[in-house]
Amino acid sequence: MRINVTVNGIAYERDVAENRTLLRFLREDLGLTGTKEGCGAGECGACTVFFNGKTVNSCMVLAVEANEGTIETIEGESSGGMLSTLQEAFDRHHAVQCGFCTAGMIMSARELIHHTPHPTVDQIQEGLEGNFCRCTGYEQIIEAVLDVTGGYTAKEELLHV
Amino acid sequence: MIHRFSYTAPTELTDLLALLETAGPGAKLLAGGTDLLVNIRNGLVKPNTVVDVKRIPEAHAIMSDNTKGLRIGWAVTINDILKNTDIASSYQLLQTCAHDLASYQVRNRATVVGNIVNASPCSDMAPALLCLDASIEIASSKAYRTVPVRQFFTGVKRTVLNPDEMVIGITIPIQSKGAKGKYRKLKRIQGHDLGIIGVAVAQVGDGMRIGVSSAAPTPVATGNLPLDISVSDAIAVVDALISPISDVRCTKEYRRFMVSEFTRRLLVEVRA
Amino acid sequence: MYENNDPSTLAYVGKSVLRKDTGEKLTGTATYVSDMVLPGMLYAQVKKSPHARARIVKVDTSKAKALAGVRAVLTGDDLDYRIGLYIVDKNILAKGEVRHYGEAVAAVAATSLEIARKAVDLINVEYEVMQPVLNHMDALKADAVLVHPDLGSYEFIEAAFTPVPKTNIANWTKLRKGDVEAGFNEAAYVVEREYDNPSVQHVPMETHVAIVRWGARDKVTIWSSAQSPFTVRNLFCHTFALPLGNVRVVVPAVGGGFGGKAGIHLEPLVACLSKQAGGLPVKLQASREEEFSLLPCRSALTYRIKTGVAQDGKIIAQKMEMFWDAGAYADYAVNVTRASGYSASGPYEIPNAWVDAYTVYTNKPYGTAYRGFGHVEFHWGIERHMELVARTIGMDPLEFRRRNALHPGSITLTGEKITSHTGDVVACMEAVARSIGYGKLTAAEKKRELASGRKIGKGIALLQKAPAMPSNTATAAVIKMNSDGSVTVNIGLTEIGQGSTTALAQIVAERLGFDIANVHVMVDKDTESDPYDWQTVASKGLIMSGNACILACEDLLRKGYAVASHVLKACVEDLAHDGENVYVRHDTENCIPWKSIAIGYAYPDGKGIGGPLIGVGSYIAQGLSNLDKQTGQGKPALDWTFGAHGIICEVDPVTGEYVVRKVASAFDVGKVVNPALLRGQIVGGMIQGLGTATCEGYIYDDAGHLLNPSFTDNKIPTARDLPMEIETIVVENSQIDGPYGARGVAEHPMISVAPALGNAIQSAVDADLAHMPIRFEDVWRAMHDNHPIDNWITKTPAGSCRSDPAARIHTPDSAISP
Ligand code: FES
Ligand code: FES
Repeated sequence: MRINVTVNGIAYERDVAENRTLLRFLREDLGLTGTKEGCGAGECGACTVFFNGKTVNSCMVLAVEANEGTIETIEGESSGGMLSTLQEAFDRHHAVQCGFCTAGMIMSARELIHHTPHPTVDQIQEGLEGNFCRCTGYEQIIEAVLDVTGGYTAKEELLHV
Repeated sequence: MIHRFSYTAPTELTDLLALLETAGPGAKLLAGGTDLLVNIRNGLVKPNTVVDVKRIPEAHAIMSDNTKGLRIGWAVTINDILKNTDIASSYQLLQTCAHDLASYQVRNRATVVGNIVNASPCSDMAPALLCLDASIEIASSKAYRTVPVRQFFTGVKRTVLNPDEMVIGITIPIQSKGAKGKYRKLKRIQGHDLGIIGVAVAQVGDGMRIGVSSAAPTPVATGNLPLDISVSDAIAVVDALISPISDVRCTKEYRRFMVSEFTRRLLVEVRA
Repeated sequence: MYENNDPSTLAYVGKSVLRKDTGEKLTGTATYVSDMVLPGMLYAQVKKSPHARARIVKVDTSKAKALAGVRAVLTGDDLDYRIGLYIVDKNILAKGEVRHYGEAVAAVAATSLEIARKAVDLINVEYEVMQPVLNHMDALKADAVLVHPDLGSYEFIEAAFTPVPKTNIANWTKLRKGDVEAGFNEAAYVVEREYDNPSVQHVPMETHVAIVRWGARDKVTIWSSAQSPFTVRNLFCHTFALPLGNVRVVVPAVGGGFGGKAGIHLEPLVACLSKQAGGLPVKLQASREEEFSLLPCRSALTYRIKTGVAQDGKIIAQKMEMFWDAGAYADYAVNVTRASGYSASGPYEIPNAWVDAYTVYTNKPYGTAYRGFGHVEFHWGIERHMELVARTIGMDPLEFRRRNALHPGSITLTGEKITSHTGDVVACMEAVARSIGYGKLTAAEKKRELASGRKIGKGIALLQKAPAMPSNTATAAVIKMNSDGSVTVNIGLTEIGQGSTTALAQIVAERLGFDIANVHVMVDKDTESDPYDWQTVASKGLIMSGNACILACEDLLRKGYAVASHVLKACVEDLAHDGENVYVRHDTENCIPWKSIAIGYAYPDGKGIGGPLIGVGSYIAQGLSNLDKQTGQGKPALDWTFGAHGIICEVDPVTGEYVVRKVASAFDVGKVVNPALLRGQIVGGMIQGLGTATCEGYIYDDAGHLLNPSFTDNKIPTARDLPMEIETIVVENSQIDGPYGARGVAEHPMISVAPALGNAIQSAVDADLAHMPIRFEDVWRAMHDNHPIDNWITKTPAGSCRSDPAARIHTPDSAISP
């Protein structure tokens, strides 16, 4: 089926098989490999993107569903070589280790900040619960989100005894 | 996904129902896809046509009305429920249950109707809908009928729906407006998980109702219990309703115990 | 390598320098093997066994071969290569018999993933299902089915391992120190109990993936999401009898490893498909489900511990029997057994010790390395057992640990002497005890208990681990100066998220005295261009590669000064530099910029001198030795890292539900190189440890089918599963041979989280837990079980009447009698 879809502000017209997921369409047909697959079954959030303004697990969306729709991915997060404030905060707080969850995590964090501009820690945990991270233990990710939303109070990284 | 199918997205309900009539059981309806697409991926379902039901505007409507109660369109998502202020003020139990369903991005896709139509024993929305006496609006190209949610489920993953029928809405009667209730779900982790068991207790009008998920082949609920029913009587009623099994998530003994214990606690909390 | 630097003089070491690899990872431009597509690339899929044990009667691939787009189809009969890290026991595709659920039986490569999947569906395998042996304790019985009847004929590494032919024992590690029986006779109390845990999956977010191109003249290129490119190359060449120069392994960004990507996994199969397909590159990425059973897991363990203790609480003797469930193949499990064997007591001094550690074959997915390399599993047993022994003698568990913990002068199980430079486990314990207010509840906590109806408990567990590695493990670093005066560092250690790239850049910048912006550590690895590194495992990266980097810096400076001394007409001894210029100490105007000599200096008359400046540093572990196979004595440990966790939890005394309120973790890291990176390792590891402690683990049915190979029923912690409070504490007793005094700590945060939680739950509601994960139902059951403590005590001073322990403690009818 032929679809028209706008991804990160660029309009694409493509033929796509009906059974192709949005995730594979983005990664394989458009070459936007920043979005990752961690399970392919809607459980891990690595494939999170914005679909018509809302976050979805793109492995559980058909590409054809996105016809006439808009998609935003990690590739659209920075502009002109400049990281977004959210990306900068992730960097400052060491919220990235292997980086495989990062794209989805940034998408979910952005959605959270959009509907809850000053989230509590609980709200951040809930906003990100659909994004697995096996490396960081989440704490530094939560701090990064607190930092961009004004809720962060600096503390020592470690207690030395 | 390896299985091939055709895709269509009607923009009128009449077209959709007509299509259902001709397509036969090979057609599968796609709303949030959180169940259907997983099943296709895992080879459990092999539709020849996937019918996207979301392109019809009324599918997304939530209507709240002082005589008819609440009506939820067939493609209303869980997050739509959570963001709706009428529901927040008048049908809070729906939100309580919705809130415990999966993760944020899944709730952006998953629909209330889908959660019922799947007829999974561990549906999170079913306990609320059962307690609130919801009725399920079912349409085909030839007929329209409503079925009380209590009669909607016929077994594990089975409902009263015929192949040419679809659920086009869920109505919650005005009598259930303002019901106060609580839902408690036993999970393996604090984060998103399927319910090991789930219990909803609601005071609706002059009765007390208790809905339970994951403890029988279908979600189940008590009838209208006296408001002042004793805790032990309530537990006895619930205990007789359920028939839990042991599986990888937990044993039937623990399920039975936890249903009783949650019932006990929620009754106290709802009355407080 | 340890230099007693005043921290105030350090520019980078000890600072939270930002990661070097985030520019790409934050923007989605870092390339992982999963993202790669090569021209002409084919996609592979695997046909897997639905049975735990079955004879392969017939494999019919004709329909698959006939499918358009299929370029290669392989079955076990087509291949005659065996692989194995320590015991060469695994066929690339099952031959004749399948030995576990999910084992690869056939494979295809096709022009698209869809065609490959379809082709696999078209392969028809006829099995004759056989009775599997599933429980590792059953596998020890005299009449048990043999998973590998030919074990006796397999090639294996004799210096370290002892398979027992005609049994299911893939390895038997022994350790004997002192006289354990005399110790028990002398002891006032003897306490014996068994602890266990199931297999667990690593769950790196990027599943295993490899692309292989088997080119003309047997030139093979492998792109792999692997932790250890040189190991992949070496084992690959061993299997296919190729010279090392024929095979190139490239590792770009890796989406997590945790031990599961050490060793060699998909690469040989993909290579055979590429060869069959005429040399086109072939890609195989495991699905999440395949990650659980086609690829290996962490071994299950049954750990029996018998401890003799004196009236004053000093441990006199301890007998430790470990039964490791290898699954169908030995892979790393035999080495997990060995490394756990010599560390089996945890950080305690045991004057008389006896260890028998067995790796046992069963018909289940096989075990491999996983963060902690056995220590997560056996510390569950040892630290629950220490709690039990303390309670037996009526001593506070903290005091009991204090009395028995290793301290300077203690002799470890293998005969190594602990010094003040080894690290201080008691300091870690005291720090976490203070942090959680161990031993009592505060007024606020008591109020909370009353208000919530939940019980608050506090528990502590200690831990130790040294790298499990060959005694001659080595690595190297190459530092190349660029013509702008910056340097590029090549090391073979991979960046799998742990942050080595950044920590090593700090060490290089520190030692060179360069601005860290001018230090580039290459992230992508390539065995053709990077210097050798044994493996990215074992928490040895910082210490070994750090030392190699320091040596390479010194080499680079020496070579640079040699050129500068000519140019500046000064002796090398009189030179110094400020990161930009090399100058003469007492004539600072007389200087030359690094960039002018970086690739060779040109005199004003055009004559050249020097050439590209390249520093090389090689480092090999020093002072280690093989262990005696009969007594286990020797020196296996490069460095011991000690630590402790303290946990406060809140338990519902009726339902067994609990929440973790606080985790305090302390480690003696020698020297903190990067506080923010270190906290990331500690918190990340601790949460992974909580996953193991609370919810993760393989569940099988009676026929050996894995019932939970996905996130639906194998949960891992989410952002909501964090404890409400986390405290990360460091102790810094310098490691004498560590870079700037640092020692490794990548695995340690995961160890002993489970027993700290078990101990906390016990102190809250008296639920006595011997099995992890600790599910709510387990707590509920344990609260109702109420086994009297006497069940585990076999000897008391009074000799008073106790229930018969033999009736309680399960003794397998084993084929082996030590
Ligand atoms: S890959 Fe889509 S949720 Fe895991
Ligand atoms: S950084 Fe590795 S999974 Fe999150």
